[in-house]
Amino acid sequence: MLSRLQAISVKVTDPFVSLSLVQASRSLQTSSQRLAPVPPLPDHGGKVRHGLIPEELFEFLYPKTGVTGPYMLGTGLIVYLLSKELYVINHETIYAICIGTIIVYGVKKYGATVAAFIDSINEEKVAKAQAAKDSHISFLTEAIENEKKEQWRVEGRGMLFDAKRNNVAMLLETNYRERQHMVTNEVKRRLDYQIALQHLNRRLQQEHMINWVEKNVISSITPQQEKESIAKCIADLKVLAKTTQAKAAA
Amino acid sequence: MTLSLFDQFLSPVVCWIPLVAIAIILPWILFPSPTTRWLNNRSLTSQNWFLSQTTSQIFSPINPPGHKWALLLSSLLIFLATMNTAGLLPYTFTPTSQLSINMGLAGALWMGVVILGMRTQPTHSLGHLLPEGAPALLTPILVIIETISLFIRPIALGVRLTANLTAGHLLIQLTSTATLAMLTIMPVTAIFTGILLFLLALLEAAVALIQAYVFVLLLSLYLQENV
Repeated sequence: MLSRLQAISVKVTDPFVSLSLVQASRSLQTSSQRLAPVPPLPDHGGKVRHGLIPEELFEFLYPKTGVTGPYMLGTGLIVYLLSKELYVINHETIYAICIGTIIVYGVKKYGATVAAFIDSINEEKVAKAQAAKDSHISFLTEAIENEKKEQWRVEGRGMLFDAKRNNVAMLLETNYRERQHMVTNEVKRRLDYQIALQHLNRRLQQEHMINWVEKNVISSITPQQEKESIAKCIADLKVLAKTTQAKAAA
Repeated sequence: MTLSLFDQFLSPVVCWIPLVAIAIILPWILFPSPTTRWLNNRSLTSQNWFLSQTTSQIFSPINPPGHKWALLLSSLLIFLATMNTAGLLPYTFTPTSQLSINMGLAGALWMGVVILGMRTQPTHSLGHLLPEGAPALLTPILVIIETISLFIRPIALGVRLTANLTAGHLLIQLTSTATLAMLTIMPVTAIFTGILLFLLALLEAAVALIQAYVFVLLLSLYLQENV
């Protein structure tokens, strides 16, 4: 903040002086000159004894005066001021004791509560940001899992397509075989028909020929021949009868 | 370093250098400007929290055009509260116990509010001189009374703060003087006055904060009327 004061004051003076001022004070600035990343704040403030006196004084005096050194210094200083009447006890002293008691009592009693409350304000801020971050992380994790599930499903899709392809191939095969079967049947039917036709033709031819032969033979048999054949048959029959009779008698 | 009763109300001067300027400006260091950090230390967090609470409370009933006064009134609150509470410490000079500072603040701010009201919405501002629901007969008298009350406001604002603080400090001075004087002669009475002093100191601590808040609250009320 004091650097801002300095920057404001620098504007009003002439450039030479202002530049030299800035350059001169630059050696006094011990923190880094970059704005980002902001260096982290220490978690706790400087250690203080009795709420007022920094611990560094005690550490400074410890090598020479031991533990009681700073207390002796304080007591001696107060006694010196009082005895030499450099500090005069007046009504303000009574009031100072009064208000000092009130302040110390207030800090001791309510200090922790107030500090806890202020810390809770910061904690809430952090908790809100953390909650937002956590919800986002969980959302993203869920999204990752869903994506992985989808990828697994996609793997299954190949199997589905294979099954479907097999299905279709089977259907086609079945269809083809059916048609082939039908074709075979039709061809066989046509061929059977032709065969039957041929059989019929042959039979007709045979019957026709037999009829013609019989007709010719019957027509060629003269009555003379008929009588001769009948006489022969009777003679044969007589012979046969004689032989069988002989066989029977023997 | 013997002090009379009115030494604490003298504007401090060392070798003709007025220290009142330092007394007024030095508490500025206690309130650092907002940092570039997301989470601050405890003092900064508490200051931010306190300021946001009071500002939202004071400005919630005011119309949006009045919210331009947020910076002025909140810095005024911090100024008065710091001056008053710093004056509670022994051997300090309280600038706000001086009529000059308080009248300067009250008069200027009141006049700003009234002129703003008269310029942006004169009818509405003048309408405040006659309270609603008043019987018609009393109108002339009421307008006069309201005008007087309007012009009394800056004086009331300034003198209220001055009187409260001066009276409080003076009482503390007197009580502590009495305690000191009786400590050697009548110790028991001194103990009673000591207890009175404790209570007075507590009261003064409360008054310091309350008076600052009342000052700013009344100004916000006047702003609410006029904006």
